[in-house]
Amino acid sequence: MNKWFKSGSPWIWLSAGGVSISLISVVGLLWLIASRGLSYFWPSQLHQFDLIDENGVKSVVIGEIYDREEIPVSQLAHLNLTLAPEQEVLERLLIKTGNRELVSLDFRWLLSHYIVKDQTPKDLVVVERRTNGNFYGYIDSIILDGKSVPKDRLAELLSRVESFQEKIDELQKSDIGAINHQLERLRLKKRKYQLEDKLTPEVEAQLSQQKNALNISYEKLEKELLAFRKEISRDQLVMRAMDGQLVTINFDYILDVSFNNNLNFLEKLSVFFSQVGGFIMDDPREANTEGGVFPAIFGTVLMVLLMTVIVSPFGVIAAIYLHEYAGKNALTKLLRIAVINLAGVPSIVYGVFGLGFFVYMVGGSLDQLFYPENLPSPTFGTPGVLWSAITLAILTLPVVIVSTEEGLSRIPSSMRHGSLALGATKAETLWRIILPIASPAIMTGIILAIARAAGEVAPLMLVGVVKMAPNLPLDGNFPFLHLDRKFMHLGFHIYDVGFQSPNVEAARPLVYATALLLVTIIVALNMTAVSIRNKLRERYKMLEH
Amino acid sequence: MISISPKTIATGSESLMTTPLDLTNLTPEQVALDINGLNLHYGNKQALNNISMAIPKGQVTAFIGPSGCGKSTLLRCINRMNDLVDNCHISGEINLHGNNIYGKHVDVAELRRKVGMVFQRPNPFPKSIYENVVYGLRIMGENNRRRLDEAVEKSLRSAALWNEVKDRLDESALGLSGGQQQRLVIARAIAIQPEVLLLDEPTSALDPISTLTIEELINDLKKQFTVVIVTHNMQQAARVSDQTAFMYMGDLIEYSDTNTLFTTPMKKKTEDYITGRYG
Repeated sequence: MNKWFKSGSPWIWLSAGGVSISLISVVGLLWLIASRGLSYFWPSQLHQFDLIDENGVKSVVIGEIYDREEIPVSQLAHLNLTLAPEQEVLERLLIKTGNRELVSLDFRWLLSHYIVKDQTPKDLVVVERRTNGNFYGYIDSIILDGKSVPKDRLAELLSRVESFQEKIDELQKSDIGAINHQLERLRLKKRKYQLEDKLTPEVEAQLSQQKNALNISYEKLEKELLAFRKEISRDQLVMRAMDGQLVTINFDYILDVSFNNNLNFLEKLSVFFSQVGGFIMDDPREANTEGGVFPAIFGTVLMVLLMTVIVSPFGVIAAIYLHEYAGKNALTKLLRIAVINLAGVPSIVYGVFGLGFFVYMVGGSLDQLFYPENLPSPTFGTPGVLWSAITLAILTLPVVIVSTEEGLSRIPSSMRHGSLALGATKAETLWRIILPIASPAIMTGIILAIARAAGEVAPLMLVGVVKMAPNLPLDGNFPFLHLDRKFMHLGFHIYDVGFQSPNVEAARPLVYATALLLVTIIVALNMTAVSIRNKLRERYKMLEH
Repeated sequence: MISISPKTIATGSESLMTTPLDLTNLTPEQVALDINGLNLHYGNKQALNNISMAIPKGQVTAFIGPSGCGKSTLLRCINRMNDLVDNCHISGEINLHGNNIYGKHVDVAELRRKVGMVFQRPNPFPKSIYENVVYGLRIMGENNRRRLDEAVEKSLRSAALWNEVKDRLDESALGLSGGQQQRLVIARAIAIQPEVLLLDEPTSALDPISTLTIEELINDLKKQFTVVIVTHNMQQAARVSDQTAFMYMGDLIEYSDTNTLFTTPMKKKTEDYITGRYG
């Protein structure tokens, strides 16, 4: 036994065990969020359950099975069920029944004991709608312009509505959005002239002329929009719900109609991918519980990139000063300790600091200096993507400083001496020799900073993230990158959908899917940085002497 | 890989036949560096004691002595590399063209362009061979591609490396062998046309064949530059240098032409050292 200890194998076992546990946790985590998240997009079977409850009342429930669990019979004593004596547990199913206009809740629990018949009819459909969630039922009829038409024209009518919808979105977002933007700028211009006492009648006339021109084109576009709206609201779909009621749904509310039970594997796969694509590319709907997360992806990536652009130069410059120029005395040591300790400050504290200093003080002053025409509504004096990026840059600054300094101290002094001996000054040596060699270490710092920043949510809630941002921070209107705008973030989206939405049960798979996406994006950002670092490493690797 | 041209050998033998200079009575034109009363302290410890010597122009001067005798320190004083050491205090003067390099208004970078240096271990930058050679020129603001190309070829030829690397100038300098790297570093140092070239034990990290190449190279270099070499290898000093200075414990014990120093040393300490009684 003693010999076994001396041989060192216990340590090998111990360390291998540690690695295995870490590996298993990482794989397990990814597997959990991937399986839960991705199953959300897989078209599931639509069931029709015929039920008879303990009072002999018959009913029909149509929907998707979301979850199953077993509960002890003892908990169901109040129902007076007639069960076999040896039966101790009963299964119950969580069914998504949708049809919000008929029943207030999307979900209902169903005791499998009540189910007398479970079938999956081929003509059962799920209608995905813009508002009010899914509708489950049978297609009763299709009404085209007031007249009933055969059901096989469904696909054709759906694609017609879709093409109109695209035109409407285009019109609303770019054309009308641009005019609104210009009108707002005109208003601000006028206000600016007013504030500066330069609003002469000529200027005013010119401005109102421009405004009229814009208004005219606005009205024209609005008419166009109304015409489109009329077109898409022409047709209706009449659905028969599980209790036999007929419900009329206007085609302009329909996103998709899917015969889930009628799909073969390949068709299901194509539905799956189009659902995933929609999740990534679409805007959210219905208080974020439906639709996609594109604005959140965009916001996360943009904020992280901005943060990287801000933190890298500052961190590197600070590290260069600390390592190359600052005297090697107690003050420098103290500074270094302070920088390292900054990394330990809870992130919400940075959020509070960002709100107090950047948003209110810096932003407020910026508004008074450069955007007085906008006041009292703030431009930069309110949380926004710029302040979020700067706050996170400060949060991640220590990471960049520490790894850059470490990189600088690893460079052999022979490199410096070689350069200095050729008549280079210290600054030239830094720029031409030291920084390039230290660049892989700087990249390591940036990688760590990205990893930390992309996952932070708490400080962002104070300095710029919102549940729903109407506009992306990047669009076609001058100056294109709107750093003052609020933005959406995947991390906050998870919190919002999972815990703040009106329908937490429905949103749970969405939480997993969003989490998977967040992990994917962070990994992608990191991999990009890692591959850049590896290239730099290859280039500047030192030969072992 | 090593090319020993007949010319190099001829130069080597030539130097043995020239009449030695009288080191105590050099004319100002013959002097490259005039070291006068140089003292150096590292903190409280004195490393150089009142060194005075004149290093003649266009010759190879070797500093020899046991480890820690101050020979490298003295070499580093000549291009002020000791400025980089904390707690290092220097008094006395070193004159280059009659100007004290420790004077008040000396631009150290400018001085180091005139007094180039090659270190003990090859230290090529992690750049291409080409960029290594033109580094000093680029620092001086030379960006004309044609002139840089010319300088690269000339320097690499002078450093006897051109034939080995002319086809891979854009490859990383770190891919060269140790001996090639050291010659590259020499080429880098002479590309900016210094007046004096300081070599700090340039062959101590190299194998015997590379050492031989570098020694031949030194013989060639003295036609263009004043060479000062520090070596712990007495045979090397005897082979390559015209003058040799023997140092011991921070003192300059004996300084004369190489033949005299190695055959008829004046001082007991020198004799003990060169005969291997200590060191």
